[in-house]
Amino acid sequence: MIQDLLNALTLGSIYLLFALGMALVWGTIGILNFAHGSIFMFATFISYLIAERIVLPLPVILVIAAAVGAILSVAVQVLAFQPIMRRAKNQHSAELQILIGGIGIAAVPIAIAQRATLSNPFGLGNSSFQVQIYEIGDVRVSNIMIMILFAGLVLGGGLAWWIKVSRQGLALRAIGVNDEVASIMGINKQRLALATMALGGALAGLAGALLTVYLSAITPESGDALLIKAFAAIVLGGLGSIAGVIAGSLVLALSETLVLTHTSGTWVNAVSFGLIFLILVVRPQGIFGRKNVVRT
Amino acid sequence: MNFFSTNIILVENTLIVILLALSIQIPLRLGVFSFAAIGYYAIGAYSSAILMLEFGWGSWEAMFVATVFATVVAYLLGLVLARLTGLYLGMATIAFDLILVVIVLNGGSLTGGPVGIFGVLGSIELWHLAAAVIIVLALLTLTERGKLARRFDAVREDPQLASSMGIDVVSYRRLSFLISGALGGLAGAFAINLRTTISPESIGFGLVVLGLTVIIVGGQASWVGAVIGACIFVWLPKLLDFVGDWEEIIYGMVVVLAAIFIPGGIVGLFLEAKHRRQSKRNRSVVEQVSALLAGEDEHESRSAAVNEGAISDR
Amino acid sequence: MTGKTQAVLEVNNIAVHYGGIKAVNGISFSLEPGRISGILGPNGSGKTTLLGALTRMVSLTSGSLVFLGQDYSKVPARKILSLGIARTFQTVRVLPDRTVLDNILLGTDALSSSRAGNVKENVRQAIERTGLEGFEQVRPGELSYGVQRRVEIARAIAAQPSLLLLDEPTAGMNQHERQEIGTLLRKLSEEGLTQLLIEHDVQMMLDTCDKLFAMNFGVLIAEGTPESVVQSIAVQESYLGKRAQQNA
Repeated sequence: MIQDLLNALTLGSIYLLFALGMALVWGTIGILNFAHGSIFMFATFISYLIAERIVLPLPVILVIAAAVGAILSVAVQVLAFQPIMRRAKNQHSAELQILIGGIGIAAVPIAIAQRATLSNPFGLGNSSFQVQIYEIGDVRVSNIMIMILFAGLVLGGGLAWWIKVSRQGLALRAIGVNDEVASIMGINKQRLALATMALGGALAGLAGALLTVYLSAITPESGDALLIKAFAAIVLGGLGSIAGVIAGSLVLALSETLVLTHTSGTWVNAVSFGLIFLILVVRPQGIFGRKNVVRT
Repeated sequence: MNFFSTNIILVENTLIVILLALSIQIPLRLGVFSFAAIGYYAIGAYSSAILMLEFGWGSWEAMFVATVFATVVAYLLGLVLARLTGLYLGMATIAFDLILVVIVLNGGSLTGGPVGIFGVLGSIELWHLAAAVIIVLALLTLTERGKLARRFDAVREDPQLASSMGIDVVSYRRLSFLISGALGGLAGAFAINLRTTISPESIGFGLVVLGLTVIIVGGQASWVGAVIGACIFVWLPKLLDFVGDWEEIIYGMVVVLAAIFIPGGIVGLFLEAKHRRQSKRNRSVVEQVSALLAGEDEHESRSAAVNEGAISDR
Repeated sequence: MTGKTQAVLEVNNIAVHYGGIKAVNGISFSLEPGRISGILGPNGSGKTTLLGALTRMVSLTSGSLVFLGQDYSKVPARKILSLGIARTFQTVRVLPDRTVLDNILLGTDALSSSRAGNVKENVRQAIERTGLEGFEQVRPGELSYGVQRRVEIARAIAAQPSLLLLDEPTAGMNQHERQEIGTLLRKLSEEGLTQLLIEHDVQMMLDTCDKLFAMNFGVLIAEGTPESVVQSIAVQESYLGKRAQQNA
């Protein structure tokens, strides 16, 4: 039982790191970035390419992954999303275009990685890091699990705290609530949007590297699978609330682990899909969300 | 004739994709962000397959029931999701599509699990499909002219305005689910009959992506966009044979570029060009009539405007 | 003067309360046929909610609305155009990608055939009365705001309404455009159209309206001829905000 809980929390931390990036961007600048999963995977892929050639300590690999993730996200924002928003006639069509644009962009890194790896899994095994498993009672904890839990806790909690108390965090929240007023108050939406995308991408890259070490390998398609789960976590917790993303990620991971241990593995994905549908029908604002978030 | 027989599969695919794309396009034309078309397709295909294989039904009866079933599900979905709009509605419908995939994966021998269903031999032929598509396009043309077209635009662009103009917005939205369900279900039923197989892979997220990209490249405003988009995406891989492995990448790039530069799709480009020509004719009229409103010589301005052809003598 | 003439609109002690806010708190008035009436009031006075109630976009908490002798308090919003009540919005709402003609036709599309009458003729007249001849094939987005407002008004009158409700029709316009709209509304009034305006511009109200209502805190605080209402101290004080505490 405790083992399951531990596994679920680890999984939840990965979901959290990934979903945080999406939630930040979506909640503040209103962009639903379908390329986020691809970035998660490709940042890890680049790290893998580098790690294959040079033996590096894990922290360095993590930093590389985060950096690549940040760069990719910013590139997507500058090359695709910004032009779309500039030309869009209204919010309605901009949303659809960004959605589809993100889907299109996502295909590219996946295709590149598929060609390079021939769709085989790739890992970050060639580093100076060794997975070590400790046994406490009948619970098995690995050092990578501890790292993930730590990252999730620190980054998740830290970000939530930072957004509440810092000026930049206040700026982000202001944009999310009313970006016209925000710009009148001197907040540079463009710069903040880039910073947010970079942060989101960095979190995705980090999550990717950590997950790859945890599972020992991922495939080029792994990012897309996470995408839907991130939606589920965000929608469940409520858009616009960091506490929501944290809660949503944990609840999702726990639910999935529960389903996994009590039924066959084939129903696990249904958890995230079902949660999305259920929450949107019953309580669209999620657990912590504000009522008027569901735009009409 | 030779071209036809060697490419019969592509022609079939094009027609099926047209129906699927229309299933996505109709709700979008009414401002309903529903991508549940793929789910309706899955229902249409799997229901037909099961009715024909498990219960020995004939093609036509199976297709009819499957399409009706998909339509009913669509209507109920529309009721359940009535309060959602925009991206939230989009996500809920994508979730619906993906839930169906999981259901089908776990359907045991009924749905064939991960392998799917194969060996469904139907008595439906290509020309039936072609006829159906032509009928659908003809009916849709009615929605692209006059009153109905205006109402669609109003419901999409400004529902409150539409309501104040006497349009029953809620009914139109429900109607969009109905039509979407019928078209999607029909597409799936035709697909299983002509291809004889269906699998979870073919109804997954990839199909959502195909549908969306067809609409955005072809254009959302008219069925012409669905036809153009379907032709492009079904035939492009064949034309770009030499491209081979890079197909996915080119695909993705085309979609992104379309989303950025031609959000209205190819149809949108034509409409804009037409508008620009009309604008040139309008400009001189607008100037003259503005002068008229500012109190200049009425007679002179008006007859000049009539001569420009911008004012008809209605 | 009014004598036996039936009021076009009767508002009977209506209230609109929601979430603890009493936006409209007991208002009664009636509109005479062919007259232009105006509602003056600061932001937060409840006049927008009042218009929402009259157009059935907002539900009444109590009271009733009677139009041409018929109680329409429970009629859904989309049916009031068929009854004969047309409206314009605070910001001009037209379909930007459609021509002026199409936009005007939109006003007639949903009418029952008996109500619509001769659509072509009604539309032609609407275009003529609002001075839009020549603009039929132009897209509203390419025209000045004042002309766009005319398109909105033409759309409203193409439906042959018996009552026209206008929400800040001259908001965002320059002096010249304001006068043009005012002139247009007076012309329509002379042709028999009953109108109710909500406006901020006091001068425009003085020039255009036959009767004025002043509103604040969800109730009418004055009514009468435009001059008398404007001069009333109560109105001046509301505008100067001396009693502003209750403003939402």
